[in-house]
Amino acid sequence: MAVEVTETHTGFVYGRARDRRQRWLLAILSVAVAVAVLVASGLGAVHLPVSQVARSMMGGGALSADQRVILFTIRLPRIVAALLVGSALSVSGLLFQGLFRNPLADPYVIGSSGGAVLGASLGVFLLPAVSLAGFGATALLAFAGALGSITLVYWLANVDGRTPVVALLLAGFAVSAMLSYSSYFLEVLDRNFGMGMRVLTSWLHGTIAQPTWTQLGIVAGMLAIGLAGSMPLARNLNTLALGEEYATHLGLSVQRIRISAIAIGSILTAAAVALGGLIGFAGLIVPHILRMALGPDHVRLLPATALAGALFLLVADTAARTAIAPAELPVGVLTAFIGGPFFLYLLRKTKHEAML
Amino acid sequence: MKPLIEFAGVSFSYGDRQVLWDLDAAIFEKQCVAVVGPNGSGKTTLLRLAAGTLTPACGDVYLKARTLRSLKQREIARSVAFVPQNVEIPFSFTVEQFVEQGRTPFLKLFGGLQASDCEAMRRAMELTDTWALRSRIFNELSGGERQRAKIALGLAQQPQLLLLDEPMQNLDIGRQFETIDLIELLRGEGIAVIASMHDLALIEGTFSSVWLMSQDELMRQGTPEEMLRPEVLERAFHCPTRHRHRLREQTQIYESRR
Repeated sequence: MAVEVTETHTGFVYGRARDRRQRWLLAILSVAVAVAVLVASGLGAVHLPVSQVARSMMGGGALSADQRVILFTIRLPRIVAALLVGSALSVSGLLFQGLFRNPLADPYVIGSSGGAVLGASLGVFLLPAVSLAGFGATALLAFAGALGSITLVYWLANVDGRTPVVALLLAGFAVSAMLSYSSYFLEVLDRNFGMGMRVLTSWLHGTIAQPTWTQLGIVAGMLAIGLAGSMPLARNLNTLALGEEYATHLGLSVQRIRISAIAIGSILTAAAVALGGLIGFAGLIVPHILRMALGPDHVRLLPATALAGALFLLVADTAARTAIAPAELPVGVLTAFIGGPFFLYLLRKTKHEAML
Repeated sequence: MKPLIEFAGVSFSYGDRQVLWDLDAAIFEKQCVAVVGPNGSGKTTLLRLAAGTLTPACGDVYLKARTLRSLKQREIARSVAFVPQNVEIPFSFTVEQFVEQGRTPFLKLFGGLQASDCEAMRRAMELTDTWALRSRIFNELSGGERQRAKIALGLAQQPQLLLLDEPMQNLDIGRQFETIDLIELLRGEGIAVIASMHDLALIEGTFSSVWLMSQDELMRQGTPEEMLRPEVLERAFHCPTRHRHRLREQTQIYESRR
């Protein structure tokens, strides 16, 4: 990768080149997200012209009443959901990669998403009161599930402060499979077949359902907490990359960083799962591609990952709902099609770098 | 004069395997100490105790007369830098980003690098001759370049004492001499050094004292001339008698000085 390095003795040219590159990338990503939102608002069973959509969002009245209903109660909530889910998944992927010191970590691969689904399903199936208490309780249980599973995987896969790829993948796979199938088991226990089961199926397939604005508000709040918590953590994750002993020597409290990363990553996973269920590999692909552009510095990666993740999942979800219209593909299926091979390619590459 | 680091009656064990007994030793400003001893005799443990990453079971380690137990690791890391044998980084950090980590003990929770941090990094990279390497990927460096980058990270901590764990390991003879030159340069900068060493011939001229560790005896201290004698080493290292002549060859340099 060519990065311009001009010779000067006044400072860290290389870092500045990267800063410049980061600012450009953030600007481009913001524009791309805005364009994607407009285009996605227009696409669907009823076509809405982009220019009128834009005017309507500014408060103008170019659309008919029916069109406005489609835009504001169907399309936009779905679009915002995709943005939130993509952002949350990508940032939690970045945090887990830093925590596990392993570029292959992803909330889906390491079982954190599976834990969130199990937590949320337990609520829906076993505690009807929770379903009544609404979406906030579901999100809370998803958080508890994510927290439990990631702690279990971390404990299982950690060997003397390192998480070897094999150990991480095996522990993640086992925990993930156990949790997903436990969720299926809940189906059997479900007495009033129907509602709960439909919810569960869409969770396990990774479908972004039709959210209400209240649900979006709750998830946006979780995402905001997650992002705010990630910012001071990002620099620490750089230092942690040197290894636990080295990081400890340099004065970091490794235990505190671990707990923060696990907690914040779980909040973000729960946010994503509450809206979209099991959507795999987004947390893997997005940070990896950005690392190629910006280098591995978590501080620089964080804002770009949040934006690019939102963009990635919006594009994927729009493709998933329009590609084979009138039928709809779960977006999780689509990300698995892209992410599966990508994951295998990364695994192959990491093997060469003697990470196993 | 107060010692920089002082070990007072320090014992340490990993589980039930005791590696250090009742260790008393001190290093003063601008001193260069070579820690010598067989594998498993506790050389790295001694360095870790001095760096504060291990805490003694008995006794105390003092940094300028304050016990390490009473200091935060951040404070220790501003005076004592530990340069480990191996560093594995799962991501492709540049040398500059790698060296930047040496500023960790100085950084606040919010707010990035200050001008003073950049200055310290630059100075560290210039001393170790890694300034030109700053945009290279750390994992792609050669053994010698990597060693210098690791020392640059240590120097970015602006320490008074640098702890080098087997700095000569995996280096060719030319790079070993480079490292020796670098240690000399640091001594000129007023930085004290404790290095664990395997190659006895490299100690001559640069190191003022030798701490000789052994698995079944208390640590012995002295000048290189006193410590690097065939009969002393033979005991400490449990050398088979038939190889005694090789030991003599190894220590010939010191023979003439006695």
